[in-house]
Amino acid sequence: MIWEGIKEAFHLIASGDRQVLHAVYVSLFCTVIAIVAAGFVAVPYGAWLGLYRPRATRTQAFLLRLGMFVPTVVVGLIVFGLLSRHGLLGGLDLLYTKLAIIIGEFLLAFPIIGSMAYAATADSNPVALESARTLGASRWQAMRTVLNEVRLAIATGFLMAFARCFSELGVAITVGGNLEMRTRTLASTVVLDLSRGRFGTALAPGIILIALAVVITITALSLAREKKR
Amino acid sequence: MRALALFAAVLLAAFSTGCGDEGAATQRVRLVTTTSTANSGLLTHLLEPFKTETGIEVIVVPVGTGQALALGRRGDADLVLVHAREREDAFVAEGHGIDRRDVMWNDFAIVGPPSDPAGIRGLRRPGDALKKILASDALFISRSDDSGTHIRERALWAATGVDPADNESYWKAGQGMGKCLVMADEKRAYTLADRGTYLAFRDRIELVILMEGDASLRNPYGAILVNPAKHPGVNASAARALLDYMTSPRGQKRIAAFRVDDEVLFQPATRE
Repeated sequence: MIWEGIKEAFHLIASGDRQVLHAVYVSLFCTVIAIVAAGFVAVPYGAWLGLYRPRATRTQAFLLRLGMFVPTVVVGLIVFGLLSRHGLLGGLDLLYTKLAIIIGEFLLAFPIIGSMAYAATADSNPVALESARTLGASRWQAMRTVLNEVRLAIATGFLMAFARCFSELGVAITVGGNLEMRTRTLASTVVLDLSRGRFGTALAPGIILIALAVVITITALSLAREKKR
Repeated sequence: MRALALFAAVLLAAFSTGCGDEGAATQRVRLVTTTSTANSGLLTHLLEPFKTETGIEVIVVPVGTGQALALGRRGDADLVLVHAREREDAFVAEGHGIDRRDVMWNDFAIVGPPSDPAGIRGLRRPGDALKKILASDALFISRSDDSGTHIRERALWAATGVDPADNESYWKAGQGMGKCLVMADEKRAYTLADRGTYLAFRDRIELVILMEGDASLRNPYGAILVNPAKHPGVNASAARALLDYMTSPRGQKRIAAFRVDDEVLFQPATRE
């Protein structure tokens, strides 16, 4: 069965299967936008917690870490409640769109990236921050100096967020709707193939997913290391 | 020391009951069926007397028709109960199944928003309704998951001579009936639903039945024994006992007596 899946994966890629390529596109597109957007907010937030320890830092850090454990379907359900016709944001008509998936994956990525940024900066050498400050750097500039020091940890945070979003199902199915050529991701393709009883074919999108993950992980880590050197 | 003895006793107990299942103590039969029969509560109602009288434990595995037959083909089921006649016949013809019998039937309906933007209310034929929906601005949600309902939907489209596949307002969901009903409700769209699932969701959604009763919407369920000659692992005797019970006058009566919100969901095969 596994061999069948590998053969099918190659066949689907080589033949340029329209549906699978579209699922690759949806998976990558939503995940990349979601983690970049989450990174813009979560990295400064986590670093602010770690470096300047505002009021209730420990509670906030605890909540961030708790956020990493929320099941993806629960996040999907919350976003569904917001975007549903009867929900708060129902008027926007976003349900069953890629943007709906991105919103859900943003919520999945935020706690992971935020936690990593917090942990890395809280653990960093306080001398770096202080010397930057005494050299006349603003809080923001000092934060950037420290973040540059802990680049590898931040990159790992992004990778973990990528892993969680790229392979998740709860959001994609619940608010994406698994619509063919619209919101179907690689992971939700597996579910559908399975429900169709095509066990061999079901493995193919999974194998493509893992192969893409390998490429992305290697690229991201080598980039982070290079900069650090 | 006493703790150790207790631990050993627990282990032994766990082992003996675990192994007991393999022997003649409790017989098990794996009934792989569609979600419509399991989720509606019919099987619990139907199987209760069978379990108490025979002592045979029935493990119900609710999946789509496509997956149900695929599990049967792998020998991972003893009895399948599905609704897609052509596929059932193919299953038997391939030698995976034997002794296919009609068990019961229910029906499909086209459901949509109460405002009926496509104006299908009052039409006689499902095909005319589908064509009108496609021509309107409203969406049509297709299961697109090779389920029995999806197979029927495709047959209804085929009869119209119209291929909706590339139409912008034809959404291929690839999901179960419940999720498709929720999706249709959210998007004020139309979909083809089996009556049982629709009734189970009726309280939570606004969709109403807009087309029903046509002969082409009838949905017969068949039960097939997984062939023990091809799949030696199956529990053929227990599966046959269950099949005999379901098609017996008693089983058929039990199906006819099953109600959800005072509505009959499944008609026994003996009733035309």
